[in-house]
Amino acid sequence: MSMKAGGNRSKTGSGNASGAHASGSGGNSGGRPNLGRGRHSGKGPTAVFFNGVYANMRMVHFLTSVVGTKCELKVKNGAVYEGVFKTYGPECDLVLDAAHRKSAELSIGPRKEDIMESIIFKASDVVVVTFKDVDLSFAKKVSPDADNFTDAAVGGWINGEHKEKDLKPWDGGETHNSDSLESLDTDVSNGWDPNDMFKYNEEKYGVLSTYDSSLATYTVPLERDNSEEFLKREARAAQLAEEIEASAAYKARAALENDERSEEDKYTAVVRGERETHTLSSREYFSPGQRNREGMSWGPGRQNFPRLSQSSVGPWTPRPGPHDYSSNSGADQRVVNGGPPRMSPKSQRTPRTHRGPPCRTSGIPSGVDLISHNAAGDVPVTPPTRNSSSGGTWSSVVSGAHRPRSPRQNSVGGASPGSSSLSPQIGAAPVETLAAPTSASPIAASTAPNMVASSSGDAKECRIQENKQTSPSANKENIKPLDSSPSISRPVCKGPPSMASGHRKQIDNLKKFSVDFRLQSSSNPDPTLDQMMTKPPRDPADKPKDLPTDKTSTVGRDGTEEGVAVIAASGLGSATASSTTTNTNKPGSPAALSLSPSTLDIKRTGMDVTSQGVQTTGTSTFSGPKHEEKEDKKEAVQDQVGKSTLNPNANEFKPRFNTQPKPANTPTPPRPQGQPSPSILVQQPPTIYGQPVCFPQMYPLTSVSPGVQKSIIWKSPAMYQVQMPHMTVSQSKPYRPGKVSNMPQQRSDQTMMHPATAAGPPIVAPSPAYTAQYFTCSPQQFTSQPLVQQMTHYQSQAQHVFSPVMQSSARMMASTHGQPSLVSSSTAQYPEQTHTMYMSPGPMPQQYAHSSAALHPHPQHPQPSATPTGQAQQGGPPQHGGPPSHPAASPVQHPQAAAAVAAQALHLANQTSQQQMYSALAHTPPSMTPGPNSQSPQASFPSAQQTVYIHPQQVQHGYNPNHMAHVQQAHMQSGIIPSHHPAPTHPPMMLMTTQGHPGVPQPPMPQTALNPIPVSSTTHFSYLAHSQVQPHHQQQL
Amino acid sequence: MAAPGPGEYFSVGSHVSCITCLGQRLQGEVVAFDYQSKMLTLKCASSSGKPNLNDVILINLAYVSDVDIINDRTETPPPLASLNVSKLANRARTEKEDKLSQAYAISAGVSVEGQQLFQTIHKTIKDCKWQEKNIIVMDDVVISPPYQVDNCKGKEGSALSHVRKIVEKHFRDLESQKSMQRSQAQQTQKDSTLSS
Repeated sequence: MSMKAGGNRSKTGSGNASGAHASGSGGNSGGRPNLGRGRHSGKGPTAVFFNGVYANMRMVHFLTSVVGTKCELKVKNGAVYEGVFKTYGPECDLVLDAAHRKSAELSIGPRKEDIMESIIFKASDVVVVTFKDVDLSFAKKVSPDADNFTDAAVGGWINGEHKEKDLKPWDGGETHNSDSLESLDTDVSNGWDPNDMFKYNEEKYGVLSTYDSSLATYTVPLERDNSEEFLKREARAAQLAEEIEASAAYKARAALENDERSEEDKYTAVVRGERETHTLSSREYFSPGQRNREGMSWGPGRQNFPRLSQSSVGPWTPRPGPHDYSSNSGADQRVVNGGPPRMSPKSQRTPRTHRGPPCRTSGIPSGVDLISHNAAGDVPVTPPTRNSSSGGTWSSVVSGAHRPRSPRQNSVGGASPGSSSLSPQIGAAPVETLAAPTSASPIAASTAPNMVASSSGDAKECRIQENKQTSPSANKENIKPLDSSPSISRPVCKGPPSMASGHRKQIDNLKKFSVDFRLQSSSNPDPTLDQMMTKPPRDPADKPKDLPTDKTSTVGRDGTEEGVAVIAASGLGSATASSTTTNTNKPGSPAALSLSPSTLDIKRTGMDVTSQGVQTTGTSTFSGPKHEEKEDKKEAVQDQVGKSTLNPNANEFKPRFNTQPKPANTPTPPRPQGQPSPSILVQQPPTIYGQPVCFPQMYPLTSVSPGVQKSIIWKSPAMYQVQMPHMTVSQSKPYRPGKVSNMPQQRSDQTMMHPATAAGPPIVAPSPAYTAQYFTCSPQQFTSQPLVQQMTHYQSQAQHVFSPVMQSSARMMASTHGQPSLVSSSTAQYPEQTHTMYMSPGPMPQQYAHSSAALHPHPQHPQPSATPTGQAQQGGPPQHGGPPSHPAASPVQHPQAAAAVAAQALHLANQTSQQQMYSALAHTPPSMTPGPNSQSPQASFPSAQQTVYIHPQQVQHGYNPNHMAHVQQAHMQSGIIPSHHPAPTHPPMMLMTTQGHPGVPQPPMPQTALNPIPVSSTTHFSYLAHSQVQPHHQQQL
Repeated sequence: MAAPGPGEYFSVGSHVSCITCLGQRLQGEVVAFDYQSKMLTLKCASSSGKPNLNDVILINLAYVSDVDIINDRTETPPPLASLNVSKLANRARTEKEDKLSQAYAISAGVSVEGQQLFQTIHKTIKDCKWQEKNIIVMDDVVISPPYQVDNCKGKEGSALSHVRKIVEKHFRDLESQKSMQRSQAQQTQKDSTLSS
């Protein structure tokens, strides 16, 4: 300690002005004895004067530089002490450590008992101190942050001595210049030829090298067996691998490694400025870890952009072991592509999502609860973040304009799930197209963002569901669409080659877009207003979101007619052939593309895949073989890869998804709830309509939402605070509780699903595993990706809600249509429902509130159903009309444009009816629950859904009471569900619900309870408005 | 500045000589001087003759006499380099630990040979310590008195063989040193005889 103090002081002494600070700090932290003195000399950082020796710069420098050297100190009486110079005081008192009195006998060193810990010699007692063989330059250092190889640094030092050295210009000579130097630049060969290395090794060391990857020379091959122990270990290894690969650090490194951008691209001030601003704004919302991730993701994202949307995806895909992620990321990336800001947020978020998904997938296959839990946990985590963001969104919603952006953001973050994003986008795209391709572009962009966000959220959910059920399929779908869209868009717009220029252009476009977009949005009363309104309150989150959306939209425009086209394209693409649309879409807006493409792809191109995936999921869930899931995953990966080959973007998209999650995190905590609910709602309607497939997908999405809800719960406090001001917020809160409850269930379902599937096989016991998984998941989620993911989820959810609202019902319809075919479709459905709700409301604020309320309830409902995922949930199918409906749904989607409106109307009608239906269903589900684990979870979900539905109704009817009731009901439902389900799975479900509430939720719960009152007032108003609005909706319908 | 600059009495870089109250004559280049504490720092050539090192003495001028400035230097001294304090602190800590470790060995009755061997090993392998009279290297190899190569015990492996090499070389160097000294002694004797 004293040493340090001395050192600091010495520094101060040598450094004068700067020294003062150092000494001050040093004195405080330094040795106590010295400190006392130091204080005398100079108290605190403000004291510029130093007493005694401390004022003597050179003396201080010398004394400090000999610290730690042995010295002989001779005192007045002639005695000599030897010790290690430790430090000195302002009066030049000297301290020797491990000092002993040197005897006349030279012989041996001191004995242990002769040595004193330290001796302080007063300066007045010291005659002479001798430091022998001191290296005075020992401690000299060049400041670490200074470049050691500048001319000044090089010239100022000679062998550690601080001397001036004359620098001479280097003359390499003509030969060198002409030959050697140029050869370095022109030498294409990259080091040694491997064969040369082998040869050299053999000749020099007698080591025969081979390409044998088994390294038989160095190690023993792993003996594989089918024992449970081995499988467990293998699963564990896979899990760890996925965790590592899903980690932000890993992704960051991978991104660095895979970053093909040139130095110019990476460090050009212009590009950076935009991105950074975006990132910064987004970062504000994000947690530090997320920021890092974002930064990382950004890097990739940039790369991806320039290269291709695909390329961007590519990097990501590599990182996320889970191909699903890649798909999701792809969607996200697209969105991001649309806007750099989004990219960053998304990328950040996406990583988390990736983590989650991978975990899930891995967990499922391996039967490892942890993984699945992680995914679930991640999802929940994201929800919280989203909730926070959603809170902002909600407020924005109240304002009216906010919704769109926030939704977008949320959607982006939450939307990270490619599938969900796709669906929303699709929905949005249709609307845009309907409205006006070009002019619509702004709207579309706005909607697109929303859509994206919602889609992303949905996608996440979908992913989750898919992962659980058929992660591969979902992934594949996502990937494919994403890939296709990105690839197309890039080629058309900028082309892959112009990496840097493309990036810059994109950025510029995005910037322009943001400006234009606002204007356009303004033209579009609701979206623009909402956006504008939302922007101020949400500033950081909103801005990022807006930017991304803008960017996306701009990108689309730039590319071709594209801005609009992109969004529209997404819709069109979904509606029309995915491949054809994808081309247009690609150019247009990555985000839109990602969404729409994904949806389209999923639906059409991916139709097979998606359907397969769904089927597989269903089968997997039912059969419950972990292996199947794994296989599915693998297949999905392969498919993705194949698709990726078709559309290089696939990989890139994955990264984007990651990015999307990030944005979601910051933005809307409250919305997450809303998002989940929307998804749920959507799902429900589909079921009613007879789009069973959609429902299953929706359910998966909802499962994601659960994560959101959890996150919401976490954030709920914060959210509440934020939301408090806003009426909508309060409303959202009440809903949230319900959602929260639902969320847990959903999550549990998801996890349950995984376990069930996994359990089916062997490794983990179903019920126990589930419970354990849930628990583990929640922790992991929280710990690993918690905040960010949650944030993203929330945002995504919020975005979803908003997006739906913002987006035209037509979009929703389209999206719904598309959704049925795939998970994305389910998301699309959600948006649609929400959209319809919003659309009818007309009034921004009220509508928002309504939408939010409706959404929340919906999400809850959908989530439950979603988690079960159609197939798994027996009850779901009946309600929905059976999984087969998926195919049908896809057809519907095609008709979308025309049918969309009708569908929306139907949805609205359905909603009301659905509620009843749901209630009925919910009841039925329990009966269903008797079924195996998977069923039981599903059943529980249905019940949750019922509650959700009830909530909407209640909201509409009784405003305050309803809210309260909703919350309570939600809780009750969660609790009830378990009771209903006798099956073992129920317990897990219960746990989940309980967990959610207790862990993070509990705090929120109280808040929610509290909130209801304030909210109720606000909500009442909102509800009133809503009620009015609702009627409108109905009328519209 | 409370204290006068170092150049006011002794300019940095000038050469000063003095005699302490104990009769010791000191001479060197002024590195620093503190008026208030009357502490003068002189830098001398290393007593061991190593070019990179210096002996530095800190003199309390209150106990010296015959201070004489051999030659003055008016040039402004070079600027001071910043110091790596953590590096210094580490050095202080390790030095102290080494000394205590050595003291432990001495108090344990370890022979001079053993101590020398320990120092030699310690130069190469920091992870060595005394356990009673045994030297423990890397917690793996035990060298017990009389510290010959054959006394190195431990798990057969690279560590043991490596330590044995060090021990072997230590004693070989010791031998050569002794022979050198002898030859030198003989040489001096011859010279003396010749001169006489």
